[in-house]
Amino acid sequence: MYRNRILALFSVLMIVSLLLGACAAPAAPTTEAPTDPSTGEPVTETPGEEPSAPVSDRTGAWVDTVIVVEEPSIAAAVTRMETGDLDVYSFSSANAEAFANVQSSDALCYVNVYGNFDELTLNPAEFVEGAPGVWNPFSNPRLREGLHWIIDRNHITQEIYQGLAIPRYTALSTVNPTGASMADTMREVEIAYGYDLERGRERITEEMTAMGASLDGGVWTIDGAPVELIFLIRTEDERRIWGDYISNQLEEIGFTVIRDYRTAAEASPLWLNSPAADGLWHLYTGGWAATAINREEVTTFAQFYSNRILGGTGLFDAYNPSPEFDAVIQAIFDSDFSTAAERTELFKEAIWYSLEDSNKLFLLTRTPFSAQRCEVSITADLAGGVNGSALWSQTLRRVGEEGGSITMAMPSILTQPWNPVNGSNWVYDQQLNRGIGEFATIPDPYTGLALPYHVESAAVTVVTGLPSKATLDWVSLSFADEIAVPGDAWADWDAETQTFLTVDEVYPDGVTAQRVSTVVYPANLYDVVKWHDGSNFSVADVVMNMILTFDRGKEASAIFDSGSVGALNAFMSSFRGVRITSTSPLTIETYTNLWSQDAENMVTTWWPMYGFGQGAWHNLAVGNSAEANGLLAYSTSKATANEVEQTNFISGPALEVLAGELAALAEAGHIPYEATLGDFISADEAAARWDNLSEWYRTRGHFLVGTGVFYLERAFPVEGTVILRRFLDHPFRADRWLGFAAPAVPEVDVEGDNLVTIGDEANFDVYVSFDGAAYAASNIDTVSYMVIDATGAVASTGTATAVADGHWQITLDAATTGALEEGSNSLEVVVISAIVSIPGSASFGFVTAP
Amino acid sequence: MAEIAQTPEGLVTTPEKTRKPESTLSRIAKYTGSRMLSLMLTVVLGIYLTVLIANMGGYVDTIRRSLIREFVSLAVAGNPDLPNMTTEEITALRESMIEVEVERQGLNRPFLLRSFSYLGNAMALNLGRSENMVSDTGSRLVRLIILERLPPTLVLFATSNFLLFFVGIVGALALSRRYGSFMDRVIIALAPTSAGPGWFYGLFLILIFAGLLGMFPFGGMVGAPPPANRLDYFLSLLRHLTLPLMAQIISSVFLAIYTWRTFFLIYSNEDYVELARAKGLSDNSIQQRYILRPTLPTIITTFALNLIALWQGAIILETVFNWPGLGRTLFQAINLVDTPVIIGSTVIYAYLLALTVFLLDFVYALVDPRVKVGSGASRA
Repeated sequence: MYRNRILALFSVLMIVSLLLGACAAPAAPTTEAPTDPSTGEPVTETPGEEPSAPVSDRTGAWVDTVIVVEEPSIAAAVTRMETGDLDVYSFSSANAEAFANVQSSDALCYVNVYGNFDELTLNPAEFVEGAPGVWNPFSNPRLREGLHWIIDRNHITQEIYQGLAIPRYTALSTVNPTGASMADTMREVEIAYGYDLERGRERITEEMTAMGASLDGGVWTIDGAPVELIFLIRTEDERRIWGDYISNQLEEIGFTVIRDYRTAAEASPLWLNSPAADGLWHLYTGGWAATAINREEVTTFAQFYSNRILGGTGLFDAYNPSPEFDAVIQAIFDSDFSTAAERTELFKEAIWYSLEDSNKLFLLTRTPFSAQRCEVSITADLAGGVNGSALWSQTLRRVGEEGGSITMAMPSILTQPWNPVNGSNWVYDQQLNRGIGEFATIPDPYTGLALPYHVESAAVTVVTGLPSKATLDWVSLSFADEIAVPGDAWADWDAETQTFLTVDEVYPDGVTAQRVSTVVYPANLYDVVKWHDGSNFSVADVVMNMILTFDRGKEASAIFDSGSVGALNAFMSSFRGVRITSTSPLTIETYTNLWSQDAENMVTTWWPMYGFGQGAWHNLAVGNSAEANGLLAYSTSKATANEVEQTNFISGPALEVLAGELAALAEAGHIPYEATLGDFISADEAAARWDNLSEWYRTRGHFLVGTGVFYLERAFPVEGTVILRRFLDHPFRADRWLGFAAPAVPEVDVEGDNLVTIGDEANFDVYVSFDGAAYAASNIDTVSYMVIDATGAVASTGTATAVADGHWQITLDAATTGALEEGSNSLEVVVISAIVSIPGSASFGFVTAP
Repeated sequence: MAEIAQTPEGLVTTPEKTRKPESTLSRIAKYTGSRMLSLMLTVVLGIYLTVLIANMGGYVDTIRRSLIREFVSLAVAGNPDLPNMTTEEITALRESMIEVEVERQGLNRPFLLRSFSYLGNAMALNLGRSENMVSDTGSRLVRLIILERLPPTLVLFATSNFLLFFVGIVGALALSRRYGSFMDRVIIALAPTSAGPGWFYGLFLILIFAGLLGMFPFGGMVGAPPPANRLDYFLSLLRHLTLPLMAQIISSVFLAIYTWRTFFLIYSNEDYVELARAKGLSDNSIQQRYILRPTLPTIITTFALNLIALWQGAIILETVFNWPGLGRTLFQAINLVDTPVIIGSTVIYAYLLALTVFLLDFVYALVDPRVKVGSGASRA
């Protein structure tokens, strides 16, 4: 009896455990996709509701504390967020099951990110005799082009990515301004290269036959042997599945596919670095990532379709675009255009040429999600997500609340040593560095256009003929026939004398530049901006940045690093000079041959935000001293070569070394680079800074200071935890960036007559809104349309006319409708916003009848 | 004068010299020397095989060169000054960066030479610097990479292994006395549950006790932020330790008891045990003098090997519980093909194993009078 009871109890416990386990995390059905594949329009949940007119005078961060913890598993993170154990998971994931759980949860909200994309890389080389791949049909561009039609991108995005991707056909992303501005062309491409298996089969058959292959019993053969394709399929993500899908499609056409599953490390020596003609592979499942919105794109085609940028690798050296395509690539790369219209035309040409070339078949833009509890708001960059956002720290808050603590998780933290000069470049560490440090201008998370942060104003002058424009009113743009660089501007650095060389010394005959930017900081900069250790910001912090731009690449320098020489040479190829024209207000002119189409993005600030974090002159002087004494090194390569620790400002054995250097420098009242910085740093200021940093190290135990809204309270490397606290002396109001809570992606609706009489005028109304409110006409760049006729051809294109905020009208005149044939047509409308890069789109069907 | 004897096979043999009995000290010294030599050779062989395997016989160099070229090329592609550079300048920039990185990773030296450097350093326990990984605090010293993860590993796995070991022994002894009892049958029935690894039970435990009941944390070693007070830190550690410890124990305890219980049962049926029983000795005396004592070498061996097995950690369990242990470090090193870390971890394990095996011979002699060090065989 007793035994039976125990057994019964045990059985019940087991069953209950299993039931609880089964019930706990149900995978919601994924019938609802986050994006509309036909339009590419993202569905973005707005986290929480916006507070009505915040009245707080709070400065800096909204929250008092951010606890950052490590959570490698997205599935666990979602569960933890649901239970309130975590508030934000800042990494963007493409895990469809976790996404379904987030969508089905009332407690969780999310935002999609658009930076990553997948493509099918083809080996375009003719193989040498005896190659493992034997024969390569993809050496034929027309056959490569035919592959577009046998791949159903909607199937991949909806069935394989389960909605966490949108179809893509070209190297240009429609999320970036260049691609978005050509949304009509993108739509034409989509129509021209959309899935059509029979058309693909026809093209491939035509080309295979012409090359001497024959279809025997449904299998392509050449010289009596089946045409085998070696397909390198990456195994780490969904590429494994779509690699199989494309293999199936190729087999359906008659190819014999050898599926070779490999990780990144295993595949790299083959697809990228083996000579393409060696024939070790035919196809490869490529994937790329972009962490910021790219507004220029002048290198895109050069990178993907020529050997200009990625040459020196087996694959890219085999790229041989047609002379016409090559000329267009070169023209874009050289920015050989003088108007925006010319630029657009070149890009459009490049798009069509690239599809004919088809060394790469772009398949999709991934739209992974990053999630948080709905009561938490945080700004995510459209391309980089929360990890890549420059505004995450200023906008992180519980909606309607001030203060408190937020727990944020990411897959990994403290991944590499932190130092501003050449420290950890991991996105996780960099995100935190963007909360501790800050820029003078920050990229708009939705357009990539630079916004003023610490800068008061700027003026940009470019040589006449360059197609630059200014969009925002903080920058003025002018043109000049010639920009001569003043003789007293600093053009280079003499590491021996530790002084700058002037233009007169470097270029005795004078030198000109393509542009000059003049940045003006606020008059109260030195009073209101403070470093976390209490030191006031000074011009010396800026000049230190100028010095370190050069010094590490100079052999005579005590902190010379051979790894910096290449980067310095690249910089010097365009840099012509810099001049501080006023220290109060701080005003700096920078002369360079580097220019872009946006004046905002041409403003060089020299703000001391280095490549890997922010640094003040005094904490960098400590790092420099340790490196000069051979005790530490900023870069991994130098640390390895010298067999010393890499400089780490926040933890590890480097701290002890830095502490020793600090003590010595403080004792000596050291002024770094005294021959130059001596003009900007007084002995009193130096003493104050050494005191501040010494006290900072004594109380916080690290050397990282910034001016950002958070300071690093402490890092717990083994426990995988970082504590950030609100910096009370931050000068800016906390509500400054509230407008960036969510991207205002236009929502488009088209209304009109479903029946159009051929030869009569037809009118259609286009309604554009966001979150239920009419979209301001001033925030819309263009509303364009395309009429697709009953045969699937583009019958006409044009732009709509603004009627009112949120209301636009399209009129098809009698001639246009007169040219349409009888049958079903569709009106494709694309709305390009001025405040967010993602275009909105909608389609409206109508029937034409006599 | 010694006679020369003719053997039937026609071979000439010299008569045996009269042997002096070997002193214990000399026997032990000889044994120690030969044993150490053989163990050292084994360690050398094991380490060199690890070097070869970890580097796929040198093919890893090809992979690493390729990855360097890939990463550098992409880094160059992102350089903002690119539009202002000629193709030649871009090529020069890329190749110079590749050269620096190739040199940094030591790939400019042939693999064969490097393989012997790896071996020499490893044998001298000069663990050196990692190629890609850093320790939690950001150091590239392999010593620190391993040492920083050692305490968390010891906390979790030493606790669980000790618990499992002692619960297993005590439970097994108890059951061996109650052969066929209800509890005995329950344990036998539950033994197959050990087919599920610790992480499998860990997932359930997290779901129930962290997700649904909220009694314990989902993972990690201590709360965030880690408590400043030592007592609070200890209590937080204890709270975080509970679920992974339970998972480890649930997954192994029944099989451990079952295994030991079977082992003790075999010894319980020996004639001398039956004789002791017939003599009327108490159960405790029989257990201690006639069962535990002869099985002591096996128990000690198991215990010692369990102890050094801690070094390996448990990759998946550590991942499920986000526990900063050595298993994950080693796994990461394998993924990154960080040879110095792989070798460092292996060489320490190899030395620990060799030392354990070496010491066990002496321990056997101490606990079992039938065993003599260096005698070649035990005298039963």
